[in-house]
Amino acid sequence: MSCVGKFIFSVFYLIPIELRQTDVKLRTVKTELLDEIKEEMKKLREEIARLKEQLGDITEEKRRRGRGIYIDIGNHVHDYMGDVMESVAENIHGELEKSIFIGPGGVRIIRGKERPFADEEEAKVNLPKAAQIISALGEEHRLKILNALLSGGKYIDELETLSEITASTLSSHLKVLEEAGLVVQEKVRGRYLITMPGRAAYKMATRITAFIERGDRE
Amino acid sequence: MIWQHCQLDRTVLKSDERLTLLRTEKGVVEIGENTLAVPVKLDDQRKGFVFHGKGKLLLDAIVETEEGAIGKSVEEEISEPFLMLGGTEEMQNRLTEANKEDLMKVGYENEQDLLTKAGDLCNRFFGRTGIHSHRCYDENDGFVFAFPNKSDKLDILVAKGSKLVYKSLGRVFVLNRNEAILKTPDEVAIVGNGKSFVIKKKCC
Repeated sequence: MSCVGKFIFSVFYLIPIELRQTDVKLRTVKTELLDEIKEEMKKLREEIARLKEQLGDITEEKRRRGRGIYIDIGNHVHDYMGDVMESVAENIHGELEKSIFIGPGGVRIIRGKERPFADEEEAKVNLPKAAQIISALGEEHRLKILNALLSGGKYIDELETLSEITASTLSSHLKVLEEAGLVVQEKVRGRYLITMPGRAAYKMATRITAFIERGDRE
Repeated sequence: MIWQHCQLDRTVLKSDERLTLLRTEKGVVEIGENTLAVPVKLDDQRKGFVFHGKGKLLLDAIVETEEGAIGKSVEEEISEPFLMLGGTEEMQNRLTEANKEDLMKVGYENEQDLLTKAGDLCNRFFGRTGIHSHRCYDENDGFVFAFPNKSDKLDILVAKGSKLVYKSLGRVFVLNRNEAILKTPDEVAIVGNGKSFVIKKKCC
């Protein structure tokens, strides 16, 4: 075939074939792309649906917990904090020399690992005397007498009126209180006064009672 | 210091009844019946007596604080001779002359024995060395008592109106109306104007 013939053949026969093939290829690519986009869209919809679901859960949790935001810190952070706490606890083990009690009465700090007074002061206590003091407190009338004396010294007739105890009974109770050192009598004027230990003992009795009563209620 | 010449009157007197030598809101000093009395003269004037018989001292050496009362009452029977300065005029009208029988009731065989004991007491109180006394007394000072104690020293009580000072073994009590100071072997308490300051040796 001559050159002119080859040229005419390629223009009128080969080029259209090539164009048709290219068009087919383009259509195939287009179809594939559309399928991919559709697939991505489908995934996105699913993701949005899942997020909506999570958001619904968070809102529900927030409503249930009231004020504040609940954040799930995940297991890693939780484990890390646990490790930190364990490490701190290990470091202070054996180093803590103080016990601290915080209550309505204030703050009390006790140094040392032993119970305070357990060995020395408590051993020094005169136990018969302690029993005498506790015994003197262990009677309702005597507590009434101490209570009446809290506001100041009283003569025996004043005590009789305030405590509603007869004179003879009153005298015997006052004697017990005097012997225990909780009350002292002025020999010249005859008034009875509550002593410093008497006031402390009465306070102790009322505090123990309040403490036990509070425990019963709880 | 004004030197005073202390002498004992050689007239021995006695009480025919129980007599109150001092009575204040916080302290009482009494003598019983048949207590012997030797007048004490300072610069030739009767200023007091040495008593010997049944004496009694009551003293409320107690202070009241917001945390309770501190101290105790002193209640002592006085069987040794003791000195009182002050209140002489009133007292000498209530005493009568003692006889040998009265002296014997208290345990003396004669006047001289009593005068010797009374002289020793005065010397101890006035701190006499030679002819000089180291202590002087004026009636404006109120009442002054000196009681020998178990340690062979003198417990001193001074009282004038509402003021009172008592010093005994290990104890000092000073009172001026509502203000008081008490020192005992275990604590020191100062009370005044409704406030108190207490130092205790042992915790209560």
